[in-house]
Amino acid sequence: MPTTIRTPKSSAAPHAMPAPEHLLEFRNIRIVYDNAIEAIRDVSIAVPEGGIVALLGSNGAGKSTLLKAMSGILYTEEGVVESGTISFRNEEVHRLAPDELVRRGIVQVPEGRRVFPALTIDENLQMGGYTKTAAEARDRRETVFALFPRLFERRDQVAGYMSGGEQQMLAIGRALMTDPVLLALDEPSLGLAPLIIDRIYEVIARLRDEMKMTVLLVEQNAQRALDIADYGYILETGRVVLDGTAKKLAANEDVQEFYLGVSHAGRKSLRDVKHYKRRKRWLS
Amino acid sequence: MQYFTQLLISGLAIGAIYGLIAMGFAVIYKSTGLVNFAQGEMTMITAYIAWTISTTVSGNVFIVAIGAIIAAVVLGLVIERVVMRPMLGEPVFATVMVTIGLAVILRSSINFIWDAYPHGLDVGFGRTIVRIGTIGVRTGQIAVIVTLLVLLAAIWAFFRYSKVGVAMRAVAADDRTALLMGISATRVHALAWAASSVIAGIGGVFFALSYDLSPAMFQLGLKAFPATILGGLDAVLGSGLGGLLIGITENLAGGYIGSGMKEVAGFVMIIVVLMIRPFGIFGERDIERV
Repeated sequence: MPTTIRTPKSSAAPHAMPAPEHLLEFRNIRIVYDNAIEAIRDVSIAVPEGGIVALLGSNGAGKSTLLKAMSGILYTEEGVVESGTISFRNEEVHRLAPDELVRRGIVQVPEGRRVFPALTIDENLQMGGYTKTAAEARDRRETVFALFPRLFERRDQVAGYMSGGEQQMLAIGRALMTDPVLLALDEPSLGLAPLIIDRIYEVIARLRDEMKMTVLLVEQNAQRALDIADYGYILETGRVVLDGTAKKLAANEDVQEFYLGVSHAGRKSLRDVKHYKRRKRWLS
Repeated sequence: MQYFTQLLISGLAIGAIYGLIAMGFAVIYKSTGLVNFAQGEMTMITAYIAWTISTTVSGNVFIVAIGAIIAAVVLGLVIERVVMRPMLGEPVFATVMVTIGLAVILRSSINFIWDAYPHGLDVGFGRTIVRIGTIGVRTGQIAVIVTLLVLLAAIWAFFRYSKVGVAMRAVAADDRTALLMGISATRVHALAWAASSVIAGIGGVFFALSYDLSPAMFQLGLKAFPATILGGLDAVLGSGLGGLLIGITENLAGGYIGSGMKEVAGFVMIIVVLMIRPFGIFGERDIERV
């Protein structure tokens, strides 16, 4: 018997007791696109201060949707938080405008890096520091250049011509310009060479250790994410199917089979996977 | 030769007016992705307000200029807030239709608020003729060419060096990512409408100085729009230069071929240029919608 199946209720359980101080908290949140498509269903996620929380799951599980809700940009895709709350430092924030959220210290590095291609590296960073005064921005810029010397070397070049890895560094640097408390990264390893991914993850660890930053990490690459994270949530078709400390998740047989690609039973056919998923859906 | 120079200079002068209005189109397109078909009407309203200030408050050039600029800013902001912002996120086609409706309303408001007769804007400036060598030029013509050149330089510097200017480029390139960086897209849009209204309004006031105010003045927009297409809808500086090109072509064609050609020449050139460069002379290649 390969699996122990968990109901989503186990993920909601920690909030029933008097909640410990969480920096960011999604509470029983439901997100609907176009008044019709339910993308997130009754999801609760807590991000404690100072650690790395990983949000795992396959394509279309709703990971990016949660980040968009966090940053207040759901409305650009006709999405809306139908019920539940998102709170940051115990204040409800899911109705705030994106620029207000940035001012409070929430920032995200979007999927696919999204540097402004026609702007130079320096101008990209300047946009990250848009909410800051000139003096603050100058300080932040030095911090970013200390973290990514490569960006300093190429600061007057147009961002669109940089390699994928450099663009990812720029995207992270640009987000750091906002002087964030919580940094969310949407698929930072997407489309990058393994060596470059190592560099990016080194930087993420440094941000946690040296700058005491809280990181919310969205990944398909579960192996990488669980290596670095303290706690993890696994999303499937809009709900949390599993959560636990990164160690526990990495040791879980389900996770090993379906997210880490480790199999105990030798070869598996796709039919088994489909069967498993169907069964799990019924039971949860 | 003298005939040619004379044509060239008056072509530059009217071209500078087209260029200013064309830059108005481009500023809005660049930061909001919309073509504002009420640009010519907004230009006309600003010119009429300048005329009202000159007849009721003071005929002093500076007072009229400052009053007109303030009026243009207010006009741009009000239109953005009342008409355009509710349309945010709606299909581009619907939004552009709204600007067409707005154009009709503004056009007829001239008859409600003012009247249908032509007026001359007289601020004691612009109609004196200066002689440069054997060529006579009106001071208003010199002023409008200088103004266009100064604005071209100022706008270039604004987009290149100022934080807000860079933010406008960022919003144009990727508005959702700009939002993630804490750049308020609505504020950038409001600024674009105000700036566009002022730049085009300056063109309108210069037109009224050199020619006449009349309810038909909105047609300036129809002349300036091709200038924007020629220069590149997303190229603010290119639009300014496109205006000059249209002005010169019109005047030379009118002077050498016949006055009937004057109306047509600009459009003939546009068709030819767009066949070769469909995104305009200075436009970026990846524009996909108008």
